[in-house]
Amino acid sequence: MQREAAIREPLILGHKTYKDITDDVVGPIMGPAPLGWKIMITISSIIALYGVGCILYLLGTGIGVWGLNKTVDWAWDITNFVWWVGIGHAGTLISAVLLLFRQKWRMAINRSAEAMTIFAVIMAAVFPGIHMGRIWVSYWVLPLPNQFGSLWVNFNSPLLWDVFAISTYFSVSLVFWYIGLIPDFATIRDRMTKPLAKKIYGILSFGWSGRAKHWTRFEEVSLVLAGIATPLVFSVHSIVSMDFATSVIPGWHTTIFPPYFVSGAVFSGFAMVQTLLLIMRKGMKLENYIHVKHVEYMNIVIIVTGSIVGVAYLTELFISWYSGVEYESYAFINRFSGPYSWAYWMMMTCNVISPQLFWFKKIRRSLVATFALSIVVNIGMWFERYVIIVTSLHRDYLPSSWGEFHATSIDIGIFIGTIGIFLTLFLAFARFFPVLALNELKTILKSSGESYKKEQAQ
Amino acid sequence: MANTKRYWTGLDDLHQTEAFQTLQGQEFPQHEAVDEMLGNENLTSATTGRRDFLKFMGFSLAAATLAACETPVVKSIPYVNKPEGLTPGVANHYASTYYNGHDYVNVLVKTREGRPIFIKSNTATGVGRANVRVNASVMGLYDSARLQGPHLGGAGSTWADLDKEVAKGFAGGGRKVVLTNTVLSPSLKRSIDTFCATHGAEHLQVDAVSHSALRMAAKQHTGVDGFPGFDFAAAKAVVTVGADFLGTWGDAVYYAPEWAKSRRPENGEMSKLHAFETTMSLTGSNADSRTMVKPSESGRVLAALHGIVTGTGNVSGLSEGIANAVRAAAADLKNAGSAGLVVAGSNDLDAQLVAAAINTALGADGTTVKYNGEGLFAGDDAAFAQLVSDMNAGRVSALIVHGTNPAYHAADKESFRAGLGKVKFSLSTAGLADETASRCIAMAPDHHWLENWMDLRIGGTRIDLSQPTIQPLFDTRAAGESFMAWSGQPMAWYDVIRTTHSAGYTTDAMYNDSAWNGSLHDGFYMTGEEMPVSAPALGNDVSASVRRLSAAKGGAFELALYQKQAIGSGDQAGNPMLQETPDPISKVTWDNYVTMARVDMEAMGLNTYIAQRDKASVVKVTVNGQSVELPAFMQPGQTPGTVGIALGYGRGDGGENIGRAAFATGEHGDHLLTADGKPMPIGANVFGFATLNGGVPRYDAYDVSVEATGLEYALAATQIHNTVMDRDSVVKETTFGSYLAEASKPKGQASWNKNHTLNVHADVNGDGVINASDGKKTSAFDLWHSHPVEGVGHRWGMTIDLTTCTGCSACVTACHIENNVPVVGKDEVRRHRDMHWMRIDRYYASDWSQERGAEEGVGVIASYTKMEDPSANPQTVHMPMMCQHCNHAPCETVCPVAATTHSNEGLNQMTYNRCIGTRYCANNCPYKVRRFNWFNYQGYAKFQHINPSQDSLTRLVLNPDVTVRARGVIEKCSMCVQRIQDGKLEAKKNGTPVVDGAIKTACAEACPTNAITFGDLNDNASEVKTNSKNNRSYHALEEVGIQPNIYYMTKVRNTEINEA
Repeated sequence: MQREAAIREPLILGHKTYKDITDDVVGPIMGPAPLGWKIMITISSIIALYGVGCILYLLGTGIGVWGLNKTVDWAWDITNFVWWVGIGHAGTLISAVLLLFRQKWRMAINRSAEAMTIFAVIMAAVFPGIHMGRIWVSYWVLPLPNQFGSLWVNFNSPLLWDVFAISTYFSVSLVFWYIGLIPDFATIRDRMTKPLAKKIYGILSFGWSGRAKHWTRFEEVSLVLAGIATPLVFSVHSIVSMDFATSVIPGWHTTIFPPYFVSGAVFSGFAMVQTLLLIMRKGMKLENYIHVKHVEYMNIVIIVTGSIVGVAYLTELFISWYSGVEYESYAFINRFSGPYSWAYWMMMTCNVISPQLFWFKKIRRSLVATFALSIVVNIGMWFERYVIIVTSLHRDYLPSSWGEFHATSIDIGIFIGTIGIFLTLFLAFARFFPVLALNELKTILKSSGESYKKEQAQ
Repeated sequence: MANTKRYWTGLDDLHQTEAFQTLQGQEFPQHEAVDEMLGNENLTSATTGRRDFLKFMGFSLAAATLAACETPVVKSIPYVNKPEGLTPGVANHYASTYYNGHDYVNVLVKTREGRPIFIKSNTATGVGRANVRVNASVMGLYDSARLQGPHLGGAGSTWADLDKEVAKGFAGGGRKVVLTNTVLSPSLKRSIDTFCATHGAEHLQVDAVSHSALRMAAKQHTGVDGFPGFDFAAAKAVVTVGADFLGTWGDAVYYAPEWAKSRRPENGEMSKLHAFETTMSLTGSNADSRTMVKPSESGRVLAALHGIVTGTGNVSGLSEGIANAVRAAAADLKNAGSAGLVVAGSNDLDAQLVAAAINTALGADGTTVKYNGEGLFAGDDAAFAQLVSDMNAGRVSALIVHGTNPAYHAADKESFRAGLGKVKFSLSTAGLADETASRCIAMAPDHHWLENWMDLRIGGTRIDLSQPTIQPLFDTRAAGESFMAWSGQPMAWYDVIRTTHSAGYTTDAMYNDSAWNGSLHDGFYMTGEEMPVSAPALGNDVSASVRRLSAAKGGAFELALYQKQAIGSGDQAGNPMLQETPDPISKVTWDNYVTMARVDMEAMGLNTYIAQRDKASVVKVTVNGQSVELPAFMQPGQTPGTVGIALGYGRGDGGENIGRAAFATGEHGDHLLTADGKPMPIGANVFGFATLNGGVPRYDAYDVSVEATGLEYALAATQIHNTVMDRDSVVKETTFGSYLAEASKPKGQASWNKNHTLNVHADVNGDGVINASDGKKTSAFDLWHSHPVEGVGHRWGMTIDLTTCTGCSACVTACHIENNVPVVGKDEVRRHRDMHWMRIDRYYASDWSQERGAEEGVGVIASYTKMEDPSANPQTVHMPMMCQHCNHAPCETVCPVAATTHSNEGLNQMTYNRCIGTRYCANNCPYKVRRFNWFNYQGYAKFQHINPSQDSLTRLVLNPDVTVRARGVIEKCSMCVQRIQDGKLEAKKNGTPVVDGAIKTACAEACPTNAITFGDLNDNASEVKTNSKNNRSYHALEEVGIQPNIYYMTKVRNTEINEA
């Protein structure tokens, strides 16, 4: 059996048996829905429905219901898209990269982080769809054989790369997540007494019987998928950043974008994981599995990526001055001193200053502070994309075309709506899915469980 | 028998059955008869099973459902007998002449399948070019507000009944008057005269915007009654005191192209233009030297000029700045001598007399000024004033109003309206039930000018013809025909014109058959008479006028009334295209406002920045007890202490049906309503603010009050940023002196047009060292493979000369009409969503620059903020901007579905039906020329009153060669690809190469000053190629490396100082 140094903080607190873990995870699924959950899902579905209503109005009337104009042709739509894609980075990073690095602490958070990833990517995918003027021909972005003559997609276009990057990332993440769920579904199936639910979980568990052969294959598949998913974690946001980096617009045309976007994405992804898990551990009484140590680990990731992002901001500023290109330098001067400087300073405060607070151990280990800062970081990362997109576009080359962007209620409604859809999906996940990778957790119980470590120490 | 056959028609063939052999023997085998099979008794006795029944029912239901889904049938009726000379899909052009009482120009009307859809200049006369108002006037033909037949007492009537009423109306005693605009048609004059003679009526003329002082001055000055002719092409020094001769003053359609002829720096000499004006006008924005004066000072400027030029006086009563400018102008005038020219815009007899005297003193009479009795602007304001007072006194028994709308544009419109009510019989021939017509007892609508015959003559040796290009759409009747009918001599209008010769009205042979057809084809006829000689000045003493001008006193605020380029006097207020054409100076659309100087606005605490959510402050301007409330607009170049308001607004103040686009619309496209429930006019009518002097309106006021109201009002401008922010690769400009100094340098070497180079780590210039002087042109750097356009086939391109571009916006409307560009209305323009493919960027010079910031120790960031403000009296650049058709187009690489691609002729082409609307291309366009269809403009209620395609009649103006774009797609300048295609086909049919100049884009064709040249850059002999090689040519934003096919040519000002 694996042994772990005694001085390492345990990953599972208290005295848990294998049965306890199963009870803790499967119990909420078997039991009746708690009132808090009902209230939350009601609120989030109402918000989701409002968002759907706004989307339908948009599709029925035209993109003009947004605040876009001849100068700023993208604003909240693509800001939201990049924001959601960024959020969708944490899950796969946690489950794939940390798996490869044998970081056991990921086991408590990877399931929900991955669920969050899937839902965030779904939300992200909404925006490139609805931002199209003619969504009914959106399938033209796929390189399908067609009867339009020899008409093909434009492989030079970063938007097309996006299509491939996002769809690949989504499918791999989904498969990876699902593979991990199979043994846990089987556990639920075995416990379930309600016939219909038992049948459903039976189908979902793909006939898992827990044989050694199944476990071997499970481990192998996980490793292979982790290998496939790891480069995707880096490629998706690199490619999203190329939407901007390959353009000619000052403020977009920046070679620093791929690494800067990836670290920003991990940064915001972890922040969102914190936001969701801190609520979930409380609501579902998972304090023993997701505890301060996990939070601290994630906060460390936030410091690192937040600092990379901060360095990237400063590098951009430096290069804009050092390049001597007047359009470039004006673009950045305009960012921090122009009409949208409030957004810039919002971004700087939220993304550069606030994560530095995590250098203090007290803050890093404080759940309340972490929760607050995770929201601040998510706000900051939304503004980062807003700053990049709107402030770069609103004053580019020809001063004659300089304009403004003002969001309409539909811009806001759709964004809030996607948060509603996202939360609804996540709440449904929390209710019907095993929120912890319970079978994986059992593998570290004896080595990292608090009571077992104490026993060993004695 | 051995069967060696390899292929069988069937098993029977293989086995060679008996039946098969029998059949094979017959050439026409007898098949089993169908009726025999049907006659099978089993069939009739068979029962339909339940399943069969359901199948049949299912099929029938599905078939019926599908049949019900049929798309609506649109009937198009083919020609059974093809009319001669009319081929569907092929445009016909007819020569005609536009005249609305102000603009007068020879045009060609393009018709498609019998519909006039486009108007352009008829350049065969060599003079005059259609302006923005003339271009757009084709929309008026299809205005569904047009009167569709005669009306009596507000109800529809018949021509027979109407004619009887006219006879009754004119039977009585009292003054009987025919009130018209300036009549230039000999035939119309004849029919009016006939009518007047029959009924003892008198003919009075009045102009919407009076120029009568100029005519009176000319008469006093030379004894010849007529509008003076100004020859701007011959002038070397022009001084304008408030005359917007490039835009709206006098015969501007004639002056602008003439003036531009003297502005070609390649000729080695350029005329110099000094402007003294109150509000920034189109002319002022093109002036080499512009001086801000108050209306009350403009007389002193003329007096001072007169004093210096004649040596009888000196500058007095003027501030030092103005005095210096006057001295400089006078010096230039004296140098130019007989090639000098002074024009005064004020409709004030003294001002015009002094201006005429200066010209005479210069010796300009006969060279730049000609007094040969042109017929323009024959309005008699004093007689009109008398008429109004007679009407109010009940002395007028019958009145016919033709071609004019005094109930709108009379300075005292209320008394005209009141007087009209007292006239026993009143009739209007207006095509719309406008302010005057709707107050008349009878309405006898005239044809639209595109439906009508007309002969026109302003004097000189040319007679112009208008011809119908379409059958009258409605039950209208030519006014000339009506006059003849009411004279008891009914005659077809065409016959009237054809018999005018024999009636003794003209002395030439045009009207005989042999000359007629040729003239009709050309649109004009040269009489072959001698050009009348300019009458000599009588040498009157103008010292009294000089004294009066010098004595003018102004109040705290003075007011200048002006006309906007697109709206003019307001006769086309219902034309949505003109309303949406941005004012060339302010760039504001759909509105009237008070132009004010920044210092005055700041002193009053008014908003100086107008943008999507930054509204204008409303001010109340009071003149002689009348007041209007209008938004204030910060106008650089506005004389401090003055305000300017445009005429031509406030049409339809009684809710008259003058076209749906003439009224203000709200955010949802509905008409805004006034307190009494009528549609709200756009802006306010300020004709009443003119100062009357013996009935003659002078369009300014020396003492007005301006007060803030605390209210706010949203203005919609297409450009909200005024300065070019020190960016030297957008507009390039230089002074004439520096141009001449380096005129012979090769392209890219002169200091005013340096090539942009990128430093490379190689010894490019061969001086042995690698340093900052080693650079390569941006075109040397390439990421993609170049499109093979250089030297292969055609490569369409354009050059735009910023020196001759006046910003007049004729190209904007020409493009708008040619390419079916949607009209989107004020609210959308305010949201920066104007759809113009072709726009004119206007940049003001700023006092500030980074250079000055460095000198004065002001930081870079603070300097940028200061540079956003234009100077108080800035130099101005007009830069036409449309798709640059980049050879390395950034839009093309980013489209995911390849909806925008490069043609092998150098065009950046947009495939609408492939576009999915990601707008990535629009973001990545450095020129921001791509336009997105935010809504379904053809159907969405927001555009119901303004978009031509939402009206079943107005949509007939759409060009069938150009797709009307659907919602959700990007559109942009196609370089009129439909015209290129047409020209290529024409050349192919003729078996010749495309001749340079045979294909012209709408903008190039419309440009009155020929600033825009279109052609084939692969044709070494083409004009566009020559221009592109000129050392003034450059690419805008060259350093981005996108290699446009549009070249700009450095602006050259004939001045010493270059501000921007």
